[in-house]
Amino acid sequence: MSTPAIKSQPVYTALEWDRAGTHHVLFVAADEAALARRLWAQPPAGPITLILQHAGGEPLAGWLAERPPGVHTIAAATLELALKALGDTLRAAQMGTRLYLVGPEDAIWQAARLADGFGMSRDEMRLMQAGTRARPVFCVHCRTVTRGVHTHIVPCSGCGRALFVRDHFSRRLGAYMGFQIDAEAPGDIPAAEVIYP
Amino acid sequence: MSHASLNVEIGRIRDLAPGIREFSLRRNDGADFPVFSGGSHTVLSLPLGDRLHRNPYSLLGDPSVRDTWRIAVRLQETSRGGSRWLHEAAREGMRLDISAPVNLFALNRTGRRHILVAGGIGITPILSQARELARLGADFEVHYAYRAPEFGVFADELEALAPGRIHHYVQSRREQIEFGSLLAGRPLGSHFYICGPAGMVAASLNAGKSLGWPDSHLHSEQFLAPSGGEPFDVKLALSGHTFSVPSDLSLLEAIEQQGVDAPYLCRGGACGQCELEVLGAEGELIHHDLYLSADERASGTKIMPCVSRLKGGCLTLNL
Amino acid sequence: MTLAFKPDETFRDDYTYRNSPAAIRRFPFPFHQDQYMYSVNMEPHAGGPAGSVYEHAFDIDEHYIAEMRDRAITLERDPGRCVSLPHMMDAEWDTLELLMESMARDYPDLFVLKKDGERWRWVNKPLGIDQSFTFGDAATLPCPPFEYITRQTQGDFVIMDQRNNDLFADAGMITSQADWSLAFDVGMSFMEWHGPVPLAHELGVFERALKYLLMLQQGRPVRRLNWTMTINPRLDTAPETYPEWGQDRASVTPENVGPKVHLRVELQTLFRLPRSNGMLFSIRGYLASMEELATYPRWAKRLNRVLGSLPNELAEYKGLVRYRQTTLDWLARHDDGAPLAVGTQPE
Repeated sequence: MSTPAIKSQPVYTALEWDRAGTHHVLFVAADEAALARRLWAQPPAGPITLILQHAGGEPLAGWLAERPPGVHTIAAATLELALKALGDTLRAAQMGTRLYLVGPEDAIWQAARLADGFGMSRDEMRLMQAGTRARPVFCVHCRTVTRGVHTHIVPCSGCGRALFVRDHFSRRLGAYMGFQIDAEAPGDIPAAEVIYP
Repeated sequence: MSHASLNVEIGRIRDLAPGIREFSLRRNDGADFPVFSGGSHTVLSLPLGDRLHRNPYSLLGDPSVRDTWRIAVRLQETSRGGSRWLHEAAREGMRLDISAPVNLFALNRTGRRHILVAGGIGITPILSQARELARLGADFEVHYAYRAPEFGVFADELEALAPGRIHHYVQSRREQIEFGSLLAGRPLGSHFYICGPAGMVAASLNAGKSLGWPDSHLHSEQFLAPSGGEPFDVKLALSGHTFSVPSDLSLLEAIEQQGVDAPYLCRGGACGQCELEVLGAEGELIHHDLYLSADERASGTKIMPCVSRLKGGCLTLNL
Repeated sequence: MTLAFKPDETFRDDYTYRNSPAAIRRFPFPFHQDQYMYSVNMEPHAGGPAGSVYEHAFDIDEHYIAEMRDRAITLERDPGRCVSLPHMMDAEWDTLELLMESMARDYPDLFVLKKDGERWRWVNKPLGIDQSFTFGDAATLPCPPFEYITRQTQGDFVIMDQRNNDLFADAGMITSQADWSLAFDVGMSFMEWHGPVPLAHELGVFERALKYLLMLQQGRPVRRLNWTMTINPRLDTAPETYPEWGQDRASVTPENVGPKVHLRVELQTLFRLPRSNGMLFSIRGYLASMEELATYPRWAKRLNRVLGSLPNELAEYKGLVRYRQTTLDWLARHDDGAPLAVGTQPE
């Protein structure tokens, strides 16, 4: 099956500060030293909050090393804790806040969904995919989200069906659509190839 | 016809303040009026001499009252006839055609807090928005600015909707809305809505932008009355009509006088519905609308005939 | 027109759904010409010839009772086919009002709506319903207002919320769709929702359609036709149940094309909603088998040519690839190759 470009698939561009904002919240779940260096070289006016999610090990050094003084920094060892810190930050935040999300799609879209709940609009958020390109995949048959999917075909962690990972993306679910690859010809399942490293 | 039209009779006329009149309208066929959403307007077709003049007015009444619609009209000093006719010639019992409701100033229903600001007669759409928010049990507040106490014509009606959440600013008492402080420190998910004089709207939007409010949370409504201007000639390429636009008619009105059916909705340069393609322009296009982007204006290929004109010789349109 | 309902026909298992000759005759055959390509193709939905599917705001036909039963079965198996986001309650009531008023006006023998202020009484004779309730008070209905009325109206429904110069698919009742998932798509913007449709984006179709719809006026609904093909007269061709019906696409043989392959036409209508300023999108589907269509030779010829010249991307998107050639072989027997005048009429 060919997969034409689907307009719901997010397109990410290199992150820039939105200097129209008056408070900047940076949610980071990937070590992108070059990006960090570039952003920190010309910080915007107004307070900056940095929420760093590191997977248990070292905090993401690139983001810490060249921070300008005064950046309020919260380090979280898990995505869950980082999202909790983001929620606490946004609850107290005001209009004028800009949210920057850097990391794997799974993390940044969970964060975006959280921001939606606070009434933030898409023109108040900037997202950039970084780190693993693994996809969260929503099974349309059993509604389980299988996370960390690197291949174009994957067994659903809920119902076990072999899912084809389509480029159709739901911002609300923060996941790509998966449907049973062999529904028309049972057992005809091509070998899974790694295409989301 | 570009509009579903309703034939109405002018019911009660009330003078609310010097230069401000309220009109109650009833349908001639006895049917219910359609329901409308907060911020909607209707377009009135007014018989000015030998021509029909169409003006938009916000629906300010309660949409659950289905037998009456209410509008309020301020006499414009520079009126080309519409508000003057309503103030001087309109009588109870007269019949008019009006359009179905149109909403170009709708509330964002995903908003978590709503800040409404009215300047003068700009209270009319704000009143219907406030009524809708009150019905929905939403978190909102209204800031109402007017020239002098007697011009706060809907103050009581507003207070009844949202006791304690209405703030008054009376110019004659030197009270003024400080948009910088009004918009500062607002929680995420706030939305701002303003209807009022052009200067006030611009000042508020500038204040919002400098505080970092994104465009998607700043809502405004402003109807531009077509400003007259120098006469110019028009050629309609498809229908073959050639005619002149006199100084006191808009391009859209002049096209309609030729019996050519051109699309329109707001007639105030806001909605984009009447956009026409310019095939040739001997002179400068004078854009007065709020719709075309800078690029579109620069291209010289589009015009909103409800408010915009040509300064020069002949304008050729793809119509 | 008196409708002779076929309450016992089925859209699953033994598939006893059939069209009467009258239903075939009024089938909204969508192809004016021998080639098909996407276009905005919207026109005012302001009535149509008596007896046609365009006559009334919402068409009720001989399949009404059976379709409503099939919807109830699908919802019983998967309640997630009906979704409404929290800010859509006004739009739900708008929809209930529009559907009840339209059906009571257009089919007074079948539906009766009596109003005493906000106290309403709704009588649905074909389904044996007599419900008194308070308009605006969801607690007085057995389920939320949008679900309540769309369990009683043929066709799928989406309600779009208009904000920030866009339309968001924020509510839906979707049990007879052409392979798209409401559970996945709910909340999407207009462009995201139509993202999977091939070729049309490049033609600018959705950009123009969105611009047009943002200005849609109250009391001036519009309509267009869309189409696909379905194997067996099955309503529930959702991605959710693809494992149940996917194999049907591989079951088409030269012998069973006539009764098994169906043209599925959607009469899509759009209505501006008054309280919410939202928009109701009704997707009213009609199914006719190849042998039913071929009772009018003009239609068989036309379909043969459209299907034969359909771009591969579209055939793939519509899921026709496995059985297109078999169907074409069957249709070719009905096509003498003579030129056909423009138009969708059966004769």
